[in-house]
Amino acid sequence: MADLIPAQESTPGERRRYGPLFYVGAGGLLIAMAIEAIAVIGRQIGMPLLGALEIIQAAILLTASSSMLTATLSDAHATVHLVIERLPPRPRRWLHRGAMLVSALFFASLSCAAAWLTAEAWNEFEHSELLHIPYRPLRVIVVLASAAVAIVFAYKAVRHDAGRDA
Amino acid sequence: MNGLLGVIALLILLTLGVPIGIAMGVVGLGGLTLLIGFEPALIKSGIVLFETVLKYELGVLPLFLLMAHFCFAAGASRDFFDAAARLIGHRRGGLALASIAGCAGFGSISGSSLATAATIGLVGLPEMRRRGYSDALATGSVAAGGTLGSLIPPSGALIVFGILAEESIGTLFTAAIIPALSQALFYMVTIVLLCRWRPSIGPATERASWAERRASLLRIIDLALLVLLVIGGIALGWFTPTEAASIGAVGALLLCARRKRLNWDSLRAALADTLRTTGMIYVVIIGALIFSVFMSLTGLADQVAALMNGLGGGQWTAIIVMTLILLLLGSVLDGLALMLLTTPILLPIVTQLGLSPIWFGIYLVRTMELGFVHPPIGMNLYVIQGIAKDVPLTRIFKGVLPFLAADFVHLALLVAVPGLVLALPAWLGS
Repeated sequence: MADLIPAQESTPGERRRYGPLFYVGAGGLLIAMAIEAIAVIGRQIGMPLLGALEIIQAAILLTASSSMLTATLSDAHATVHLVIERLPPRPRRWLHRGAMLVSALFFASLSCAAAWLTAEAWNEFEHSELLHIPYRPLRVIVVLASAAVAIVFAYKAVRHDAGRDA
Repeated sequence: MNGLLGVIALLILLTLGVPIGIAMGVVGLGGLTLLIGFEPALIKSGIVLFETVLKYELGVLPLFLLMAHFCFAAGASRDFFDAAARLIGHRRGGLALASIAGCAGFGSISGSSLATAATIGLVGLPEMRRRGYSDALATGSVAAGGTLGSLIPPSGALIVFGILAEESIGTLFTAAIIPALSQALFYMVTIVLLCRWRPSIGPATERASWAERRASLLRIIDLALLVLLVIGGIALGWFTPTEAASIGAVGALLLCARRKRLNWDSLRAALADTLRTTGMIYVVIIGALIFSVFMSLTGLADQVAALMNGLGGGQWTAIIVMTLILLLLGSVLDGLALMLLTTPILLPIVTQLGLSPIWFGIYLVRTMELGFVHPPIGMNLYVIQGIAKDVPLTRIFKGVLPFLAADFVHLALLVAVPGLVLALPAWLGS
């Protein structure tokens, strides 16, 4: 099932488990929401909020990074179930392990690529135009988040009960 | 050849249960490695990753999701259906009509087909069955009505298409207004005709008092104003989609507080659910963008375009072939996967044929919606069966068939009269 709002909601247990991750992502989201709303109101009353877009970009990066990890931790990734749902439990578990392993390798590659680009851009001191928000920490966050996603996928592939709920 | 092999590899990975975004990313990265070498492929993927998570325009997605979850927390889920049921529920087939109206209203908050079918199904189905409606009409109307959530703005599917196709999300939203409203109208006409043909399937029932009607209308007025502000603001060019989404989210938060539903638990749940869905979509978009780079290098779109040109008949043949491909793939892939797979291949063809990418986005989502209500995927059918467990899937499908017929006529109309899609954005200068 790959609709944009899954029918199943997160449980209170899940929400507690992802504590710090939740605060980073939710914080980014609320900051983006508030800044954008203030910027719109400011524009209407003739007091534009300069650099709002740059703050929102940074906030959205935080939200995106933490949300990818949250989605991975809670097995919320969109998957086509047409065939695997019809398989007996044993092959389904093996396919699930395989899918998790492929996912881990993909995110490990992305993390390496992001780390490589970060290393190359390290001494260029990239920053945003108006507020001079440095890109270095933002790049590091992306590297760490994608590495963390890879680790979670790898753990899901090797844990003893992998794929039991798949 | 490389492109075709890539598509086949993608279908195999999807079938084996690899998450959609990751399957696309793996094929894209692997394909790029074969075409341009490992180092450039890896660097390109890294660039896609960083640019995607830093993209301001993508902020529209989590903010609209947040607005939807705040609206759910405010208890707005059943309000649209309740209001429509009080107004027209007493007429023959009135509750089925109210389900369609409820789906359109709820779809304008949720942007999702499954969430719309599930929510309106939970409130509408028991009511219709209690009032003696046939199972086929009750389940069919909700399953079909649910698909409105994919098209009616702010639609999640249109946001994803806008990002992939690099088209204005605001224009896409404006372009979707007439097709979504006409789709709802087609469903309503279908219900009226069915009830005229066999009056027993949707009996007339007791009329609600004017006091009840007024109360139910008053309950949705704040929500309706918020939705109008958001969609109207985008269409009239008052806000960009991201700005509209943040205004919508703030408005929904205030609405939640006004209805005394705002507490730490509801806030936390809304944020957590938004984050979970946002993460899923970001992975899908990153994978799809990497896949898209690979597809553009393979030249598959040019080859398919040449093949279509070889068939003769120009635009019409191409559109018919594309529709058949989409319907065929829609039988085995779900909506999101279908859109992500076909956009990089079909969009260049559409542009070469001189068709509007905005029209194509609406047409694609409209075709994608059909997959939600026909087997073997037909997720809305399963959602409805999950609510009405004693109704067999075959009866639900039988109930959906007249709506599916209406869908085909509506799709043909959108193809024959592109102005239905393009007129409003042109008129409003989007």
